Amino acid sequence: MDTCIEKIRTICADLLAKGKVQKVIGFAEGSIPMASRPIAVTSKEDVAKLVFNATCGLNLANYVSDVLPKEGKIAVTAKGCDSRNLVTHMVENQVSRDQLYIIGVPCTGMVDKRKIAALFEDEITDFIEDGDTLTIVSPQKKEKVSKKDVLRHNCRVCTHRNPVVFDVMAAEPVEEQSLDQPFADVDHIAAMDPAARWAHFQELTKNCIRCYACRNACPLCYCPTCFVDESSPQWVGKGQDKTDINTFHFLRAFHCAGRCTDCGACVEACPMGINVRDFTRKLNKDALELFGWEAGLDMEKRPPLDVYSPDDPNDFIK
Amino acid sequence: MMGNLLEHMGVERDRLHFSWISSAEATKFVDVVKEISDKVRALDTDKKFAKDYTK
Amino acid sequence: MNFITIDKKDWTTGIDKSRETYQVFGPVQDENGCQIKPLAPDVHPLMDAGVTVMSPKSVLFPQTQKMLTATLDASIEDHHVMKPVKKDDTPRVVLGIRPYDARAILLVKLNFDNPDYQDPYWCEAYAATTFVGLGVNHPGPCDFSTSTGCGPFSEEGLDVLMADLDDRYLAKILTEKGETWAGACGFDTRADAAESQSLFDILRKEAEKNITSVDTDQLSEKSILDLYEAPFWDDVAFSCINCGTCTFVCPTCWCFDIQDETKHKTAVRFRNWDTCMSPLFTHHASGHNPRGSKVQRVRQRFMHKLKYFVDKYDQGIMCVGCGRCVASCPVNIDIREVCTIMNNYESK
Repeated sequence: MDTCIEKIRTICADLLAKGKVQKVIGFAEGSIPMASRPIAVTSKEDVAKLVFNATCGLNLANYVSDVLPKEGKIAVTAKGCDSRNLVTHMVENQVSRDQLYIIGVPCTGMVDKRKIAALFEDEITDFIEDGDTLTIVSPQKKEKVSKKDVLRHNCRVCTHRNPVVFDVMAAEPVEEQSLDQPFADVDHIAAMDPAARWAHFQELTKNCIRCYACRNACPLCYCPTCFVDESSPQWVGKGQDKTDINTFHFLRAFHCAGRCTDCGACVEACPMGINVRDFTRKLNKDALELFGWEAGLDMEKRPPLDVYSPDDPNDFIK
Repeated sequence: MMGNLLEHMGVERDRLHFSWISSAEATKFVDVVKEISDKVRALDTDKKFAKDYTK
Repeated sequence: MNFITIDKKDWTTGIDKSRETYQVFGPVQDENGCQIKPLAPDVHPLMDAGVTVMSPKSVLFPQTQKMLTATLDASIEDHHVMKPVKKDDTPRVVLGIRPYDARAILLVKLNFDNPDYQDPYWCEAYAATTFVGLGVNHPGPCDFSTSTGCGPFSEEGLDVLMADLDDRYLAKILTEKGETWAGACGFDTRADAAESQSLFDILRKEAEKNITSVDTDQLSEKSILDLYEAPFWDDVAFSCINCGTCTFVCPTCWCFDIQDETKHKTAVRFRNWDTCMSPLFTHHASGHNPRGSKVQRVRQRFMHKLKYFVDKYDQGIMCVGCGRCVASCPVNIDIREVCTIMNNYESK
């Protein structure tokens, strides 16, 4: 995947030199092993800062609406999931297609940094990616692992690795995965009895510090004032009471219903390693099963919770 | 979907209720509220979303 | 200065003995990482843990702390009168706290315990707590504690400093509180002072070799306004998503927000950690927000830690170099880089 970075840099240098875009949003090398950081590049000299590797797990669609110029375009490098969130942004009128120049990047998945860290007792001091082979170094040992074995869960179950919308592709499309049981994780929770399900979610969020990194890393969360920050009326308490933590996670998830692309940025961002996708995955499964809907694939269709249809499968209104 | 997610989290679905009631249907409103209150009261053994300030 | 040696075989027995006197805190591991928490009676501290995800500041300054309560029942004479809650002032000991976190407590003390103001909640907890530190033999890649007036074997803020020598701990008793703790554990095997000190020095020098250094020497000379108006903030802030992770994991961030809640006839006043990364932090009742944009908030965090604090207290920077914010930041904003930019900045 890192071979496409030269092409990305060439495309970006050309776009900036010709003034076709005002800036390029991409990823830059991080300051510590296994890290990358979103960056806005405005001059062709800085294009060399751009990288693309298996640590670029955040979703760049999240950065687009903050930096839109009044006139002209910005370019954004987009993996499959980023492109789906750009579509969602367009469907929800956050950005228009002609403001964007999308550099599509086919993706073979991002690594689960916690899974890799768990292979070591001490801290990782170096991380080298060479195709599917990752070489990870700590003071105690050097380990070679296959990227396939340490992919994030959302990447393992991803069926849209190629960008769904783009102006140019930085590489040939990659083969899409087909899955026998795309929602095994949801089914696993659903098979528990209600008390065990409740206990599962209580255990899941017990270390939540309410930093809201999950919300802020999510491209769907662009409300000017989030419900947790409202003070008149105040919908939810601000402390560490379980009730308030539950309310935050439940409502955050529900606000993503029919919109979530399962990009995994929320889990990537969580400092406490909470798999908040356990909430949104259920919604994604329902959206697919009830409405045949996957978010961010079609710029023409309205999202299922955005329309009224006489053949709505729900019978909830009594 | 909201009911499904609540149930998935282990919260009883009967706590959630949607109705379409016109402002002219006062009796329907009363009936629905009574019905919901009874259902929720029946579930009220487990105060999952109730805060406890004594702690 | 007294040194004692503690055979690791005797460690858990000693800790269990001390539970008669102390509530014991220490590092514990769960699936979400390692944190310093109160230990259940059958749990022992994970002493060889790396940097804990959260700092131990919560021992003295919990994320949510009940301060006052009142009854709203008008039939009771003193209804609606806020009263302090009963505070837990029983002795407690924090085991395995790292030297940078101990220094952080002294920095936080400047805010909670000073001639103008003594925060009763923090001060009483501080008085009740003994800090048993463990030197850092193998500093991680984010550690820059030698640049912050601290270091892997710094003694500041600790009651006992221990060094891990594989089969035993060598402990330097630094205060009376530390002496009392060692007594409560029954640790009393004296070690030779000169020899022990030289062992500490060797370990310290070895550990310091692995720590990256960051220059902070020019910060106090810079003009506040030059730094405030410097052009680099847009670039620094671009990737920031304005979550509160950096401030919540930080051992020196002390800001809090006060909230009142009521339920039925009970009213409670809490304080919660707050974060300058949130727009709500400065949102005025009028609707105006003096720090309404992300860049302003990011600038505030670094200016507070690396400039305003330096100028106000003359105690160096408001950072102990633990590296937690570097490790936990979802978008890899690195305070070491920002500090370097600020330290080297020359206005044109």
